[in-house]
Amino acid sequence: MESGERRNGDSMSHNHRAPKKPRLAGLLTESDIDSEFAHHQTGVARINNGSFGCCPGSVLEAQREWQLRYLRQPDEFYFNGLRRGLVASRTVISDLINADDVDEVSLVDNATTAAAIVLQKVGRCFSEGKYKKEDTVVMFHCAFQSVKKSIQAYVSRVGGFTVEVRLPFPVNSNEEIISKFREGLEKGRANGRTVRLAIIDHITSMPCVLMPVRELVKICREEGVEQVFVDAAHAIGSVKVDVKEIGADYYVSNLHKWLFCPPSIAFFYCKKRGSESDVHHPVVSHEFGNGLPIESAWIGTRDYSSQLVVPSVMEFVNRFEGGIEGIMIRNHDEAVRMGLMLADAWGTNLGSPPEMCVGMVMIGLPSKLCVESDEDATKLRSYLRVHYSVEVPVYFLGLRDGEEGVKDKDSGLITAYVRISHQIYNKTEDYERLRDAITELVKDQMTCQNLPSG
Amino acid sequence: MASSLSPPEKASYHHRHSSKRYSTNGNVESSSVSDFVKRPKISPQNYISCSEIESEFSHHDPEFARINNGSFGCCPSSILALQRDWQLRFLRQPDRFYFDELKPKISDSRSVIKRLINADHDDEVSIVDNATTAAAIVLQQTAWAFREGRFDKGDAVVMLHYAYGSVKKSVEAYVTRSGGHVIEVQLPFPVNSADEIIDRFRIGLESGKANGRRVRLALIDHVTSMPSVVIPIKELVKICRREGVDQVFVDAAHGIGCVDVDMKEIGADFYTSNLHKWFFAPPSVAFLYCRKSSNGGGGVADLHHPVVSNEYGNGLAVESSWVGTRDYSAQLVVPSILEFVNRFEGGIDGIKKRNHESVVEMGHMLVKSWGTQLGCPPEMCASMIMVGLPVYLGVSSDSDVLKLRTFLREKFRIEIPIYFRPPEDGEIDPITGYVRISFQVYNKPEDYHRLRDAINELVRDGFRCASLSS
Repeated sequence: MESGERRNGDSMSHNHRAPKKPRLAGLLTESDIDSEFAHHQTGVARINNGSFGCCPGSVLEAQREWQLRYLRQPDEFYFNGLRRGLVASRTVISDLINADDVDEVSLVDNATTAAAIVLQKVGRCFSEGKYKKEDTVVMFHCAFQSVKKSIQAYVSRVGGFTVEVRLPFPVNSNEEIISKFREGLEKGRANGRTVRLAIIDHITSMPCVLMPVRELVKICREEGVEQVFVDAAHAIGSVKVDVKEIGADYYVSNLHKWLFCPPSIAFFYCKKRGSESDVHHPVVSHEFGNGLPIESAWIGTRDYSSQLVVPSVMEFVNRFEGGIEGIMIRNHDEAVRMGLMLADAWGTNLGSPPEMCVGMVMIGLPSKLCVESDEDATKLRSYLRVHYSVEVPVYFLGLRDGEEGVKDKDSGLITAYVRISHQIYNKTEDYERLRDAITELVKDQMTCQNLPSG
Repeated sequence: MASSLSPPEKASYHHRHSSKRYSTNGNVESSSVSDFVKRPKISPQNYISCSEIESEFSHHDPEFARINNGSFGCCPSSILALQRDWQLRFLRQPDRFYFDELKPKISDSRSVIKRLINADHDDEVSIVDNATTAAAIVLQQTAWAFREGRFDKGDAVVMLHYAYGSVKKSVEAYVTRSGGHVIEVQLPFPVNSADEIIDRFRIGLESGKANGRRVRLALIDHVTSMPSVVIPIKELVKICRREGVDQVFVDAAHGIGCVDVDMKEIGADFYTSNLHKWFFAPPSVAFLYCRKSSNGGGGVADLHHPVVSNEYGNGLAVESSWVGTRDYSAQLVVPSILEFVNRFEGGIDGIKKRNHESVVEMGHMLVKSWGTQLGCPPEMCASMIMVGLPVYLGVSSDSDVLKLRTFLREKFRIEIPIYFRPPEDGEIDPITGYVRISFQVYNKPEDYHRLRDAINELVRDGFRCASLSS
């Protein structure tokens, strides 16, 4: 099915060799791409790459080879192959993100894990008296739910104070975000408190906006925030990532979302500092104390194959014109183009201007659908999946008192947005299907209230 | 060797229709643990055959005498194929899979495990990556109790000196750091009887309670890793209860598929076992059992997966079922594994019994050939056994055993872990090196003959560990 000819298991007939590389035969054609994603369910308008990402067939093959290599002789692989393979992946990533030193790069399962690592450390500082009770953690109100829960579990539990900065949405410029953030920092410092940690999304999840992360980190430094953690779950493969430029203390991004890795793998960057960093993987193994990259490289017997395919992924992306940069640009341009097409068709708006989007765009849903709660949004999403084979997440925008909101062409308040994604496997028809589904629902006077459940 | 057939081959010739089930001490017992297993009425001709077993493990490196199932386990290709199916189901349409299938299917796996281990409620069973993760969960709970003043600084956590290296580090990271006092119980090795262990453990508990301290947690291996010995866990748990230990956590990494795992019989508060070691699961999946009526510390309600997700607060089992985007396929194949083991006569109990008998037989064979000894009596081992290496080889350090192991792997294509047993005062020419041999369904007597012959060759050639380079 893929362009390289690899048969399952046969390439491992000679042991101890690295997985075979695919035969590179120039740039991938459209039908090559179709082949690479032949395992995706046909007939589904899969416009939600942002949630779970995707993995091409040739990378899955490479993963399988690593898995078989381990299963074949696991002891030998553990002693001779695993660490080298992980260092190779970390080195590729370190170069990609412009880190100073590969020792700054650890591999973990996902951004959720990285958040636990950072917040456990912060929690220990509170427990051990390094931080005063009521010192603050500042974050955005739309931070990923897992991160918020992690703050509850590790920071609030030990007396830390949290300030949530409300992300303006729809948003028109970086300045709107920056000024809200400054207000949040003020609040965090009120009454003699110290802001110990700022958590900033590089690209928020829901609603989805590309944040002015460099500026926000600069402000944190100016305002004496002790540490900055950038949750960039969506970033790598979506937007250029230069960790030195961004300047955060901690930066995490999932590679299985936009960089074609199989589930699951994330890199976790920790800027080198003079003093001991005291970050530890929460699953403690015999490598405890040897530095986070080494701790994370062995957290007990696991399948580490998804962390080993990074070099194969780079081979894959380099078969596209412009490599990963080319992919990012095309995804962005197409997502915006489709977004504008939908906004136009529905008479609604984009949630942010094109320069504040990546390969994902938020588009207002017609007010006539009457999305009035999170439950309504979920219901609508399920309905689209079941009745139209369209997979797209729906965001309910709960307006607060005093917020004006944006009206659609019917002069109704826009209370919900879809978040469309564009990845290399998507086609225009996917978005047209969404367009027509919504248009039909409106025409049939369907609302979230009269939509049949289930 | 008395016969040319290995025990599994012998067994498949004996067409026993009997529903007797055997525990590892060879007694027939009416099993409570395996009762639920709806064993299809397989006729003997339909039991898995030798060539089918070979085929199931044809992905193993054929050059190797793979006698170390204990470290990384094994997974038959039919289970690997099913795992791949699960992986593809997710990749095919991940959102739908996440919303519609993942949680109920993980619940199914938990249900199967619950019945296998004789737990009371599904809620008591959480699925995690491995025993290392389970240890972090339990120890984090202990750490919170210290930090939040429910335990006094200096209260004790008692563990075995032979506890697994990762678990010791976890105790350091969570317990010592939060103010707990750690006591390691020294166990004898070689060991001659369960009583030796029980006596030493009692002494360890006493020292834990010295100076008015409380023993907040006893962390006990069901089967130690290196050196490997089956610990008399039921007795130790009883002693812990009598002596007022708050919580007992049994680390049974080598549990399910190796020894009898019956939660009600064992009576611990927490019990974890890997399924990828002896229960044919792909890497990696383990369960953590948490008794509902658990007392002490923060109780079951304070157990949390350290990787906090949006499921935080919904109970450990639910928290563990979603720790962010991951490949959960190893956890999803568990029900299928039951079908696999039931293709063997006696199911998992039959496998355990034959593994035990075979490993003891191979152990005796090696002892006889090398003139050494076993590390423990046969009744204190399950499917692994420690066999003394000839003194002549001059094993004198941890570094020696690692180098010797590497040498055996590279020169003889034998995979075997080796334990350095430091000599004690007054011992004359003690055995300082022990190999830990494992027996699993794919093993054959030839594997152990190769080890026997390799060591004999080394002795004949005047080999010494000191000659191995770093």
